[in-house]
Amino acid sequence: MRKYAVLVALLLAVLVSGSAFAQDKLTVWVGGHVVEQEQTWAEIIQSFEEATGIEVEYRLIGFDVYYDTLVTAFSAGQGPDMTFADLGGWVPTFAAQGWIEPLEDRLAASDITEQIWPNLWPTVTYNGVRYGLPWYTDCRVLMYNKIMFEEAGLDPDKPPVTWDELLEYAKILTDPRQMKYGYGVSGKRSEVATLGYMMFLFGAGGELLTEDYSKAAFNTPEGLAALKFYTELFTVHKVSPPATPSYGEDDFRSMMAQNRVAMAISGPWAFPLIEMANPAIKGNYAVALHPYSAEPASVLGGWASVISSTSKMKDEAWQFIEYITSYDVWRMWIARHGGPMPTRMDVAFDAPEFDDPRWEVILEVFPYAKVRPPIPEWPEVSDRIQNMIQVVITGQATAEEAIATAEQEINAILGN
Amino acid sequence: MLNKLYGDIRRNAFAYRMLIPYVAFLALLVLYPIITNFVISLQVDGNWSLQNYKHVFQEPVFAKVSFNTVIWTVGSVVLQLLVGFLLALLLNQEFKGRAFFRSIILVLPWATPDIVVGVAWQWMYNDMYGVLNDILFRLGIIDYYLPWLADQNLARLAVIIANTWKGFALSAMFYLAALQTVPHELYEASEVDGANVWQKFRNVTWPILQPFVVTTTMLTTIWTINYFPLIFTMTGGGPANATDTFVTYAYRTAFRFLDFNRSAAMSSFTFVLVFLISLLYLRVLSKKEAERQ
Repeated sequence: MRKYAVLVALLLAVLVSGSAFAQDKLTVWVGGHVVEQEQTWAEIIQSFEEATGIEVEYRLIGFDVYYDTLVTAFSAGQGPDMTFADLGGWVPTFAAQGWIEPLEDRLAASDITEQIWPNLWPTVTYNGVRYGLPWYTDCRVLMYNKIMFEEAGLDPDKPPVTWDELLEYAKILTDPRQMKYGYGVSGKRSEVATLGYMMFLFGAGGELLTEDYSKAAFNTPEGLAALKFYTELFTVHKVSPPATPSYGEDDFRSMMAQNRVAMAISGPWAFPLIEMANPAIKGNYAVALHPYSAEPASVLGGWASVISSTSKMKDEAWQFIEYITSYDVWRMWIARHGGPMPTRMDVAFDAPEFDDPRWEVILEVFPYAKVRPPIPEWPEVSDRIQNMIQVVITGQATAEEAIATAEQEINAILGN
Repeated sequence: MLNKLYGDIRRNAFAYRMLIPYVAFLALLVLYPIITNFVISLQVDGNWSLQNYKHVFQEPVFAKVSFNTVIWTVGSVVLQLLVGFLLALLLNQEFKGRAFFRSIILVLPWATPDIVVGVAWQWMYNDMYGVLNDILFRLGIIDYYLPWLADQNLARLAVIIANTWKGFALSAMFYLAALQTVPHELYEASEVDGANVWQKFRNVTWPILQPFVVTTTMLTTIWTINYFPLIFTMTGGGPANATDTFVTYAYRTAFRFLDFNRSAAMSSFTFVLVFLISLLYLRVLSKKEAERQ
């Protein structure tokens, strides 16, 4: 009998000690590119704790595993109280699964709401209800290495504007024997490949899905031309490194910092990151509107703050969200890091750091930026686009075959 | 028959009582997820249906994933068998420092965490900074750096090589243990009869080792089919599904697309497959046991 009593006591002790940790602290999971700014996060969390008396337990999670980590946690009902969701479709996906809390009432009562760029709201809306508060945003542009331009005899203040110029410059900048390449084509199986294709698709005047997001709309002459141009940069003209099918934007940024890749798609989050990768690159890189064939184009991105639907500290989570999205915290962040782009219009217009030529480009391009379809099926749709790109760049199918297959597959996913 | 069972339990009551905690643990941690997974795979939006299985088998990429799994398994198992066996033979010889080499060669690759192995090999295979390309280039074997993880066939080869590096140690250890059960007198006797190295191997070593090889191969096969971390960290299943096996594909379906039902169908299918292979292995093993007696 005593043996059982001991066993029961031990079990109880384990249970109690386990749950004691879960209760009082606000759990915050930070993901995405901003995790590299560890020091700043530590300070912000600390000042929030001091200002409100709420204890915060936070984790910084790398971008590659962030989605999987969140899905695993939410599926098990163990999601963090507050976290970030990518504006590229994560919010509708999580909302459709019932994992996050609708925020309409809180947004209506907050004075932050009217400061947010209006074109961001569709990205956090599901079934007409808003589930997130956009925290930072961005748009994609062409980033290029001025040193490599000069060495190749190109004018560093005159980046390519059309697709033809892009190809021409890329060929001049490519020298495989020195392992230098002109343009990085994102070919890896990740969202960045879809985004790369979309930059060229929109630049050709094409559309990804129909306006009501019910059917694929990219199997058009424009869509095909975009796919061909994007993939032929690698397959035919070889201006992108040989292992392009396993490289993405982030890899090209590291290579650009080491003067190996001259041009690649990137965005404002990259400003502090490329300078961290190689401080010597500061002042030697620039951004410009990405070359287009029919109309200027860009794709919107960024992150929104969301609250878990099973959280027991929703009010405190909202307080934290309002804190990090506040005018003062954003001004501090920008002053320290020079990026990323806040979702608050007042900060974007007030901060003197944005008088920089790079930021002028970003703010000019932002109105052209289109959103990724905010539908729960987006991860699957994106995967089919990534597959389409991969089969063409690995030579398994022609662009015509791949685009037709992708259209079929995506229509099936969207329920046609 | 039930009486016999009861009698058996009563006589060995102590033994059964000792087994209960382990069985309970197994039931909770293993049986419960397997059964739940199976149940989920038969559901579509809450209704019972075989849709998920139909979908999985009819998907065009299924043929490719099956092919990849076969290549991956056969390639890894064969290479691990050969390398493991060779090394076991070598390490069985008497030479100075044998203990040192045994501990390094047999333990280090096996003890390295899967993720570390995956990331390290990924960097070694890198097309611009990779050690492997550098060495092959300097030796004059290749003219330009190979994009190991970006070409379909090279990627398959690359993951098999990395898996062999990681896994041969287990096979080698089993074979080494097996080799040490071979009585020295048999070797001496065959030398007296004038046998050369090859004849010694064929007539003394191999017959004794055969059941061990069968066992180890079966175990390695089962483990290789299920092996997830290495492929996932090295290639993520790419490029273009070239290194996707059943398990990486099932993972992606669940975690990227949040399609838990279809993923459950894929993994239940894999489970049944591996289960059948295990049954085959048990059947072969018991036949060999019967033959020996």
